[in-house]
Amino acid sequence: MLRITGGKVYDPANEIDGQIKDICIDDHGQIVDSVDGGRTIDATGMIIFPGGVDVHTHVAGGAMNFARAMTPEDHRRTQAFIRTKNRRSGLGGMAPTTFATGYLYAGMGFTTVNEAAVPVLSARHTHEELADIPIVDKTTLTLMANNEIMMDQMEAGEYERAKNVVAWYIWAAKSYGVKAVNPGGVAAWKWGADAKQLSSPIAGYNTLTPGKIVTMLATICDDLGLPHPMHLHCNNLGAPGNISTTLDTLKHLEGHRAHIAHSQYHAYGGDGWDTMCSATAQLAEYFNTHPNITTDAGAVLFGDTVTITADGPWQHLLYKLTGRKWGNLDVENETGCGIVPYTYRPSNLVNAVQWASGLELMLLIKNPWQVFLSTDHPNGGCFWRYPEIIQLLMCADFRKECIAKLPDKIKGRITLPEIDREYTLYEVATSMSAGPARALGLTQKGNLGVGCDADIVIYEEEDDVARMFSHPRYVIKAGEIVIEDGDIKETPEGREFLVKPNYAPETHEFMRPLFEDCYTMQFDNYPVELERIENPVMQPLKLEK
Amino acid sequence: MYWGGNPAECHPRHFTKYTLMQKSKFLPRGRKDRTMVLVDIRETKSAKASDIFLQVRPGKDFELITILRAMIKEQHVGDEQIAETGMTREVLDDLVHRMKSCKFGCFFFGMGLSMTRGKHMNSAALLTLAAEMNAFTKFVAMPMRGHGNVTGADVIMRWQTGYPFGITFNRGYPRYNPGEFSTVDVLVRGDCDAAFIIGADPGATMPQPAIEHLKRIPTICLDPHVTHTSNLARVHITTAPQGIAAPGTAYRMDELPLPLKPALKSPYPSDEEVVRRINAAIAEKPFWLAEGSQPQMITNQV
Ligand SMILES: [Zn+2]
Repeated sequence: MLRITGGKVYDPANEIDGQIKDICIDDHGQIVDSVDGGRTIDATGMIIFPGGVDVHTHVAGGAMNFARAMTPEDHRRTQAFIRTKNRRSGLGGMAPTTFATGYLYAGMGFTTVNEAAVPVLSARHTHEELADIPIVDKTTLTLMANNEIMMDQMEAGEYERAKNVVAWYIWAAKSYGVKAVNPGGVAAWKWGADAKQLSSPIAGYNTLTPGKIVTMLATICDDLGLPHPMHLHCNNLGAPGNISTTLDTLKHLEGHRAHIAHSQYHAYGGDGWDTMCSATAQLAEYFNTHPNITTDAGAVLFGDTVTITADGPWQHLLYKLTGRKWGNLDVENETGCGIVPYTYRPSNLVNAVQWASGLELMLLIKNPWQVFLSTDHPNGGCFWRYPEIIQLLMCADFRKECIAKLPDKIKGRITLPEIDREYTLYEVATSMSAGPARALGLTQKGNLGVGCDADIVIYEEEDDVARMFSHPRYVIKAGEIVIEDGDIKETPEGREFLVKPNYAPETHEFMRPLFEDCYTMQFDNYPVELERIENPVMQPLKLEK
Repeated sequence: MYWGGNPAECHPRHFTKYTLMQKSKFLPRGRKDRTMVLVDIRETKSAKASDIFLQVRPGKDFELITILRAMIKEQHVGDEQIAETGMTREVLDDLVHRMKSCKFGCFFFGMGLSMTRGKHMNSAALLTLAAEMNAFTKFVAMPMRGHGNVTGADVIMRWQTGYPFGITFNRGYPRYNPGEFSTVDVLVRGDCDAAFIIGADPGATMPQPAIEHLKRIPTICLDPHVTHTSNLARVHITTAPQGIAAPGTAYRMDELPLPLKPALKSPYPSDEEVVRRINAAIAEKPFWLAEGSQPQMITNQV
C-alpha cells in the first residue's frame, strides 16, 4: 500500500491539470480511493504524471537483434550498466540490450511500450526478448500488409477470408494488433521493386494495389474490434514530395480508425533532395479536421543512431545514399527488414528539414490526444533522448536557439521559426502517456483514476525541463517503487497485453495447405504457444454488443 | 550460389527444405526453375546437385570475389588475374550474366570461405558483393553455421549483452573482443579459474594448451553423454538430451526459432533445470560485493 500526498497531479484522462491531490495505491498495484497504513511519499513541490506510454518503438525482435550485432562500435562507447544486487548488466546506446532497455525506459518514467513491428515467423523470438525487458509492460503489433497469404485473399476479393486470416495470424503471433508497413512495397522488394503509387498494382499481383490493402486492412481491424486500430507506416517513406502519397493514403482511410506511424517521415514537399522541404502544415491540417486518426511524431534528433524498418527498399536506398553498413532480412512470404546505421547532422539540409518537421507536427496538430511523442526509436533518435524533445516543445526560446544553428539555406523550407506554441505540462502528459494509452486501447494505462494500474512518475519540479524529465524522483510500476532518487530499486517482470480476435474455426485448416505450400517450417510449430508469453494479460475486444 | 560449403553432407535438409527442391507460387517447377552454382576448392558431393561447379584455386576466394565485384560493374580485369583463381573469362562472363539476370539471388557461404586464408575478409568481400548486386537485381547472402544450436546461443548473447560471442564480464558489464575474450583464447592464456561447459565438447576440438588448462581448473560439464570434456571435468552432470527428452528452442541458421518437442522421457534433468538450480543456490549466498561498495553506472567507457 502506498499514498502519495502533496504533489501537483497532471492526469489528462480525468481532466486534472496540476491540482494538488492524494493518490492511493492498494496491494494489487491499482489506484484506489483510500488506503489504511502503508508508506507515504511526500510529493510536495513535485509533479505527478501517469507513467509514460511509448506508442511506437522497436526494442526487441530479429531486426533489433541484428542491429545489435551490426553496431559493436557503439556498444563500446555507450552507457554501461554494471551488474549489482538488483540489476543485471547491459549496454545502452543506439540498440540497447534487453535489460538495459527496461532500466532506461523506467529511468525516464515510461512504464509501457508498444513494440511496433513483429513478423509472425519470429514472434516466438520477440516474446522471449520482451520477457527479458524488465519493469515495463508491453504490447506487440504483427506485420501484415505484405503477407502473401492475406494478399492473395484480397486480390481474389475474398474479404471475409482475408479477415479470418488476419485474425488467425494475430492469435498465432500472440500479439495485440496489426502493423502495416509500406503496404505491398515490402512484398515488391522481393522482386527488387517498391510500391510508391497507391493505385498501381503490386509486383507479383494483377489487380491488388497498396490503396486496396490500406482500406481493407483498416476495415478488418475495425471489424475485428481490435483495441488499437491499424497502425500504418505509409508508402513512400522518407522521399521528397511524399506528402501527396500520405494525403492519398489518408483518403483511403476515410470513415475508419487508424494510427499513422512516425508521420514526420511522410510529410515532405519538393521534388528531389535539393528541393526537399517540410509539408507538415498540410498534414497537420488533415489531422486537425479528422479526429478519427492519431499519429506519432517520429521526431528526429541530431546525432548517431541506427535505422531499422520493415521497409526494405527504403533501407537499400539509404545504404546507397550513405555507403554505410547495410543489413537486409527477408522474412519468407511475410515481410522483410533493413538496417542501416545513420547520423543526423544539423549541417545536412535534408536532416535539418527532418528535425524541424517532427517538431512542427507536434506543434501544428492542435489536439495533443492526436499526436504522440516518439522518435520511432531508434530510427529518428534513441528513446532515452525523449526529454530533449520535451524541452524543444516546452521552450520556444530554446527552439529558436537551435534553429539559429541550422544552415541559412533552411529558410523557406520549414515553418518551425513561425511557431510560438509551447507545450504545457498538461499537454506533455497527454502526448507522452494519456494519449498513446487511449490510442492503444489500454484503458488501464495513462490514467490515474480509480481502478487503473498504478504506473506513476514523480518529478522534482525545476526549470531545466530536459533534466527534470530525464531524472524522475520516483517511478512507480504496478504500485511498486522501482526508481527512487535516481536509483533502480526493484526490477519486477513486466506483463504482455494480448488480444484474441474472433475467426471462423475452419480458418486453421484453411491455412494449413496454403502454409505448407510456401513456408519452410512445420505448420503445427508455427503458432506461438500461450505458455511462452511471460505474464500474459488478455485485453478485451471492442465489439458492439 | 553455395560458396565454400558442402550442404549435401553437412546440411542435408538445406536443398530439400530450403533452397532447391521446394515448389512455390512463383517457382512452380521447383528445382527446374532454379539455378545452383557451387564454388569450392574440390568437387564435393554437393557438386552433383549443382548446375555449375566452379573449382576455385585454394586460397584464391578473396581474389575471385573481388574480380566478380569488378566485373559486375564492367571494370577491366586482366586475363592473368582471372587465371590465377583457376577460372576462365568465358566462365565468369557467363556467371556474371546469370547473376545479373536472375530474379532473386542468394549466396550461402560456409567455413570453406570464412575459415580459410583471408577469413573474415573473405566473408566481408562476399557480403559486399551481395550488397552491390542489388544495383541490378535482388541479392542476399547468408552464412552456413556449424552444428547444434550455435545460432541460438549467438542470438541470446546478443539480446542480453549486445555481442554474439567473445564476451567478458570482468568489469561487471559486457565487453567484446574476439581473439582476446573468445573461450579458446581465455583458456590458452590460462585466464580463468573455473569453467562451466554446456552443449559443447571443447576437450575434443580445442588446442592442447586449452585442454591442459581445463584439466588444471575445476571444470563442470553438463552433457547427456560421456565426452572428452566430461572425462577431464571435475564434475559431470548428466542431463536430458535437448530436443529428444528435453523441450526448448533451437534457432535455424536464418535465426528462425523452432520449438523442440521431446519425443521421450528422461530420468535426467534438462540443462535449463540444472542451471536454474545452480542459480538459485548461488542467490542464497551473500552478494559478491560488500554492502556500500556497489559499483556505479558508467556513462563513458574507457
Ligand atoms: Zn517504426
